[in-house]
Amino acid sequence: MGADQAWILVALPAAAFVVLALCGRWLPRQGDVLAVLAIGASLVLYFFVLHDFLHQRDGLVNSHEYWSIAMHHTWSNVGNFNLNFGTYVDPLSAVMVGVVTIAGTLITIFSIGYMKGEVRYWWFFAVLMGFIAAKLMLVLSDNLLLLYFAWEGVGVCSFLLIGFYWEKRSAAEAAKKAFITTRIGDVGLLIGIILLWKATGTFNIQDILTAATTGQIGHVYLFVSLMFIFLGAMGKSALFPFHVWLPDAMEGPTPVSALIHAATMVVAGVYLIARLLPAFEVVPASLLVVTIVGLVTAILTGFMALATTDIKKVLAYSTIGQLGFMYIALGCSHPDAAIMHLMTHAFFKSLLFLAAGSVIIGTHHNQDMKQLGGLWRKMPITAVTFLIGSLALAAVPPFSGFWSKDEIFHGTTAWNGGWVTFLLGFAAVLTALYTTRLFVRTFLGKPQDQAVYDNAHETGPVMVLPLIILALITCVAGFTVFNGVGRAMGFPGGFTEFVFLHEPERFVMNWSWAAASAVIAFGGVFLAGWIYWGNRITISTRLADWQPGVYNMLVNKFYFDDLYQAGIDRGLLGFSYVVSWFDRYVVNDTGVDGVADTTRYSGSILKYVQTGKVPAYALGIALGAVGLAIAGLVVRG
Amino acid sequence: MSFDDAQGYLVLSTIAIPLLAALILVLLPGERKMESRYLSLIAGALVLGLSIYIFAAYQVDSSTFQMHLRWVWVENTAFLGKNGITFYLGVDGISAPLGLLNGIVAFSGALVAWKIDYRPKQFFILYWIFIAGVFGTFFSLDLFFWFLFYELATMPLYLLIGVWGSVRKEYGAIKLVMMLFGGSSLLWIAIFAVVHDAGLGTFDLTALWNAGQSGVFSPTFQKVFFPMFVIGCGFHAALWPFHTWSPDGHGSAPTTVSMLAAGVLMKFGGFGIIRLGIQLLPAGAAFWMPGLMVLGVIGAVYGAVAALTQKDYKLLSGYSSISHMGYVMMGLAAMNQIGITGSVMQMFSHGVMTALFFLLIGTLYDQAHTRNLPEFGGIARKMPIWAIFFTIAGFTGVGLPGLSGFIAEFHIFVGVFRSYPIFGALAILAAAFAAGYIFRMFATVFYGPFNPRWEKLKDISPVEGVAATLLVLAIIAMGVYWSPFTDRIGPTVALLPGLTH
Repeated sequence: MGADQAWILVALPAAAFVVLALCGRWLPRQGDVLAVLAIGASLVLYFFVLHDFLHQRDGLVNSHEYWSIAMHHTWSNVGNFNLNFGTYVDPLSAVMVGVVTIAGTLITIFSIGYMKGEVRYWWFFAVLMGFIAAKLMLVLSDNLLLLYFAWEGVGVCSFLLIGFYWEKRSAAEAAKKAFITTRIGDVGLLIGIILLWKATGTFNIQDILTAATTGQIGHVYLFVSLMFIFLGAMGKSALFPFHVWLPDAMEGPTPVSALIHAATMVVAGVYLIARLLPAFEVVPASLLVVTIVGLVTAILTGFMALATTDIKKVLAYSTIGQLGFMYIALGCSHPDAAIMHLMTHAFFKSLLFLAAGSVIIGTHHNQDMKQLGGLWRKMPITAVTFLIGSLALAAVPPFSGFWSKDEIFHGTTAWNGGWVTFLLGFAAVLTALYTTRLFVRTFLGKPQDQAVYDNAHETGPVMVLPLIILALITCVAGFTVFNGVGRAMGFPGGFTEFVFLHEPERFVMNWSWAAASAVIAFGGVFLAGWIYWGNRITISTRLADWQPGVYNMLVNKFYFDDLYQAGIDRGLLGFSYVVSWFDRYVVNDTGVDGVADTTRYSGSILKYVQTGKVPAYALGIALGAVGLAIAGLVVRG
Repeated sequence: MSFDDAQGYLVLSTIAIPLLAALILVLLPGERKMESRYLSLIAGALVLGLSIYIFAAYQVDSSTFQMHLRWVWVENTAFLGKNGITFYLGVDGISAPLGLLNGIVAFSGALVAWKIDYRPKQFFILYWIFIAGVFGTFFSLDLFFWFLFYELATMPLYLLIGVWGSVRKEYGAIKLVMMLFGGSSLLWIAIFAVVHDAGLGTFDLTALWNAGQSGVFSPTFQKVFFPMFVIGCGFHAALWPFHTWSPDGHGSAPTTVSMLAAGVLMKFGGFGIIRLGIQLLPAGAAFWMPGLMVLGVIGAVYGAVAALTQKDYKLLSGYSSISHMGYVMMGLAAMNQIGITGSVMQMFSHGVMTALFFLLIGTLYDQAHTRNLPEFGGIARKMPIWAIFFTIAGFTGVGLPGLSGFIAEFHIFVGVFRSYPIFGALAILAAAFAAGYIFRMFATVFYGPFNPRWEKLKDISPVEGVAATLLVLAIIAMGVYWSPFTDRIGPTVALLPGLTH
């Protein structure tokens, strides 16, 4: 199977979605095997596609030439308005497909254990397949219209999965919030797509990029279009100020959180911006906006994570923070670093979420770290894998997160001067701090709630196995940055030599940078360890008591939820009441019924003219005749 | 008899079969309720089959009128010259999809009316007269018969709502019919003015179009009479501010009638503006289209905003229809091939979507007897299949890719962006509001904790399930494979006068 048949990777989970949605309920085991087979087959076929893709590259004379394989077909034509669909395989989409299929397969397997005995078991797997299919279509599509199809498909599947337990009011609300918040971003995306079409007459991404880089689009126009598109990415990635939906999205089952955070949902925005980065580079102001939004997001979510005790929500904030890192890398024109971090993050974040899911199942649905603690004795495998994930998240060498974050650090220095690097370092300290806090308060120290501790147990093999695999990947994924490792795997070189924008970049170990970022990571880890493991937790409570306003602000996500709620209640819904009132009382009761009432009223008055007396009518006729005669004379002069 | 002539008789059958059904029903004793239902089912299946055949047999590569049928009725008398008034039928790329829409909705409407137990015979008589009128309007190429059928499809609504309706039905019925007739009177005046001014002594639309496009009508004449066509048809299309029959009329109408009134009758508006406005009076269109664009934008945003806080789900769908029909107006007013193609697609898409909406609302209302949204909660537990259908309808309304609404609106947005980017952006924003009101309805009605008051609710019945499935299939088919629609609509639209490129 060649890279030009990459659509099969999408078709398999999509077919599984259709089959499971229509008749999953009646299949043996409610069809979970079918789901695993479909995504597993996609994973296997992915390696064939990748092999073929790399093989085709070997024919190129210049080994560092950018290469891609595109296929497209016509969807419809209206005059010169042509809609196409097709696939586009290049190193960027090849990496993304790999991330989605690998993480997707492991998460699907894990779900068999996690969702055991849940209601609507088949429906969960059906939507899971739809989710993965939509994301694969998103990264493989060669044009913005098909990408938008997939983009919305991802949004709908996340709506259905976040609202999986729809009997719970909070789950229904969280699903609605996630969909509507991202939808506001999508408005921007659609406007941006249409604006780019208006300037170039095409939806094909490569043609648009060519038009942008050869100066066929005015800079101001391009900037405006790209900002609209970035709005879509911000909504999907839950960047500040759209960050409100992601913590609430934890209402979904934990494997869904893993999928949303690692592979399918939030990184779609990163992919989109990386895909369009050559156009962003034409207008440096747009890159600056991306960088600033990324920085603000990374720092604010770091603080919010420190004030949260729900383990899944801490992970949710950490995701938004790491996305901020990726956007900073993109803003500094380093898609290689951003995608590398995306890749490592996908694995260690799905590891962390699945391990958190294992904790939740093992402690019989407890996810508040105030009631956990000391779990490593009861759940050793979960604890070790969680530790590996945490260390990667905190960017401790040699785990994967270290290498990718180091790449981002490195990327920021060449661009925008030192301030980005400095703030990035600060955000990285925060990351290490809250990650260590999370691990220490969950697995180390004394049990906070003896009953929970006593009933805790390690989870079964179907859940532990994906954890172990993901932990192994997390340990080694970072080494793909090295030239030798990449070559050994059949790639032209290390990660940054495979995914690049202008020139492939060979990774060179820069010891001072590595040392600095390691110091940052260790500093955060030790500080948190000192506070939370060393029984100095009172330090943090004293801090909270000292400035309750600040603490409450962090707990309440900087009051953005309240602000939006007030904006919706007082602003939008108020406006809606005004419009409804206007429609009822002005347009309808005055305008429409008024006409009817006037007719009726004038009729009720004029009926008295109809006396039935012949002389009265004769008088009327006479008066009319005279009147007409006078009028005729006047008109004629 | 050539093949095209034979097909002309098929087009005639779409009008004749419903009328024949009505006639047989008249002769049927009123107490034979089951027979009248079966008869309607047969008639519905036949017109559905015919409309599918006409849609499929339409020759894509020739975009002029096809499947002609012409019978001279009156000519060479009084002010009428040759071909004065003829019974003239034909199909083009705009009427073929709208005829298909009517076939689909007529069939599902007949299924949904199955459960009507109060005088079903009389209901179905009026129903089939209505359907004949709709087909006649879509396929007529003679202005006289066009208007005759146009009225034929409006009048039965008064009785259908007034007799079989609910809540304030007399008010809803009289208001709907008076407002629509108000529009018709404007149309009738303008039609006479056009026929007179053309001086051809004929009501033949094709001849009048040629006259209009060769500049027979003076620019002043066109500027005066174009708004009469737009407002006259605008009443049907629920064009703001002539829309208030829609929430009230749907509020009182029985399910089937809501399905048809919102599903096909509203399409008369957009269809009439193309047929009478753009095709007859191109200079008037060029002058007034920016005004129609403004009204369309107001309608699209206004309907969506007003829908956000409605507590009655029928009013909510009434307002959402105003919003969606606002898009149709915007697409027409963009005056380019993409926008108008999108408008016709949106007419089809909105027709099947809103029919599905009203079908499902009817299923719930017939059992719950309340339309107050906050009284529900968690009823997806009792009505899971119903909830799935409703979710699909809602996603279509939100404009989700893969369902028919998106691709229609996408063509409209692109068309509008060509000429009026700000209005295009506002329309896309209105689509985000749609997510607001539709998801709010989802969350309050079928998600959340179950309200035990609704313990007795039953899921959708098999008969309604078949009707809903048909509509859903149409939505999904158009959503993923819309080129059969664009292939028919696009080239026909390209022939309209006065388009910008």
